[in-house]
Amino acid sequence: MAGLALSAEQRIEAPPSAVFDLVGAGAGAGWLFDTVCDRLAPGAAVALRAPLGGPPVELLGRIARIRRPGRIDIHLDVPWRGTLRLLFDPEGSGTRVRVVADLDEDGLRWLMRRRGYLVREPTDRRDHLLGLLTSKSGPGSVFAAATANLAAMAVDEVNADGGIRGRTLRLVVGDDGTNPEWGAAEARRLVQGGCRTIVAGTTSATYARVSDALRGDGVLLVHAVMNEGGQGGELRIRLGERPRQQLRAAAGPVMRAAGGRRWFLAGNDYVWPRAVHASARRVVDEHRGSVVGEAFAPLGTRDFTPVVETVLASGADVVLSSFVGADLVAFERQCHAMGLRERARTLALTLDEPTRERIGDVAAAGMRGIAGYFEQLPDTANAEFLRRYRRTFGAFAPPVGSISESVYEAVHLYAAAARRAGEDEPRTVARELRSSRAEFPRGTVTVSGPETVTQQLYLAEATAGGFAVTPS
Amino acid sequence: MDADLAFDALADPVRREILAVLAERDECSAGELSDAVQRVGRTAVSSHLRILRTAGLIAERRTGRFRYYSVDATGPAQDVIRFLQELFQGSLADAKAAAEADAPDARAM
Repeated sequence: MAGLALSAEQRIEAPPSAVFDLVGAGAGAGWLFDTVCDRLAPGAAVALRAPLGGPPVELLGRIARIRRPGRIDIHLDVPWRGTLRLLFDPEGSGTRVRVVADLDEDGLRWLMRRRGYLVREPTDRRDHLLGLLTSKSGPGSVFAAATANLAAMAVDEVNADGGIRGRTLRLVVGDDGTNPEWGAAEARRLVQGGCRTIVAGTTSATYARVSDALRGDGVLLVHAVMNEGGQGGELRIRLGERPRQQLRAAAGPVMRAAGGRRWFLAGNDYVWPRAVHASARRVVDEHRGSVVGEAFAPLGTRDFTPVVETVLASGADVVLSSFVGADLVAFERQCHAMGLRERARTLALTLDEPTRERIGDVAAAGMRGIAGYFEQLPDTANAEFLRRYRRTFGAFAPPVGSISESVYEAVHLYAAAARRAGEDEPRTVARELRSSRAEFPRGTVTVSGPETVTQQLYLAEATAGGFAVTPS
Repeated sequence: MDADLAFDALADPVRREILAVLAERDECSAGELSDAVQRVGRTAVSSHLRILRTAGLIAERRTGRFRYYSVDATGPAQDVIRFLQELFQGSLADAKAAAEADAPDARAM
């Protein structure tokens, strides 16, 4: 990859093997060496908490190559794509450690913005622009790691198929940092840059804030990923799975697996988890179960000990975990460490492969997820889709979950609607989008209103290395 | 400083390579830079240097008929590059402190 390369080096008075073994050991050896990963092996997911100013930014990626005690290559996905190499060479009685990092153009642009500089997107006036709001940083970057890749892949497919009425579809990407205020600022930047439609692959909290911020601007906002519904309208379309449908499909099987009816509801403190819990109370009631406790923690929480203790004390058989992204990862790892897995079954509506692999094979085993897409879906369209994704982005690109795949679909649904509309006016495109039907890797998706989507849901049980998936 | 101009200047791989070379050395002559950046000729390197200078990313110093280039420590892209480099360097310093605290024998050798 042609990119900017940076390097730093340091002599350390310890043999290479001793220095190498500090990586991933959590030994307080700086943010690079204190990378979080379950095992040092090719393909293993890693997270580096980089102090970029403000709350630390998690650089997410995976180990591409490793040779003890000489070298570790890390492939990074978010917030920028690139590689990080750690090289350990013997030097006298000690070690010369070098870090060589490269980042691509988008990465440099992201960093310049994060440092407060205004950076214009290089756009061509003849292009048909489409905004994408995703989470390249903050807790949501876990579920959104593949989002920008998949949106770009859909755009390439649209362009290979003639673009939008002969014009090139061009994606302009914004990062909400999993923060509604930043999301609103980024959305305004996309609109000022010429985007008349924005596809949001973010939390509902960001969607709601952006929807307010763009009121009266004539901009079409499409929430692509699973959400609680509501707030649909002429220029507001909400796709994705609904909690009520997910819970109705999953509640029975999860209670049977748990052998009990007592539920604990625990999640992040914002609109979607609260709506999930409201739905859960009704669905649990329909299944003659009971809710024995409920807890919320703000997005960005890292110590869930008090919440897990409350869950343990409640005697719950089923835990409905409506944490998202990095918060879901941290909560579930702590549940496992504190012995909850032997006491209760866990259902998490956002459990997907990018999240599961970061919770870890051991800590996630037995967790249930419910969504319209998992990589394991057996049909040939999905296999071909995943082959294209791997061919384009490589073996070390992040896994695909329902949340990122939904953004791929939303770009295609938008492009098809824009072609049918015969004009760029967002209201006309929105009208077409509100009655759409298409075949996707997940199967048939039918849109029949501003917030009505029909699709097949699948129940998934986390196993070592993936999921066992069954149609609900 | 115009960040847009800086970014446009950085959009080219040859210019990024020139900056990477300059980031490792204090100062280079145009000839030295041409030798280090093999994929394009001397004339192309000169025009890239002009663009980088206009964007405020590099500084030029003339001595007689020679021109010397160095990174402009005040530009926005340079701010980002310097920031990242300090981040990596600081992290390696932390690794050194941890490794040497763990290995008093190695330090005594």
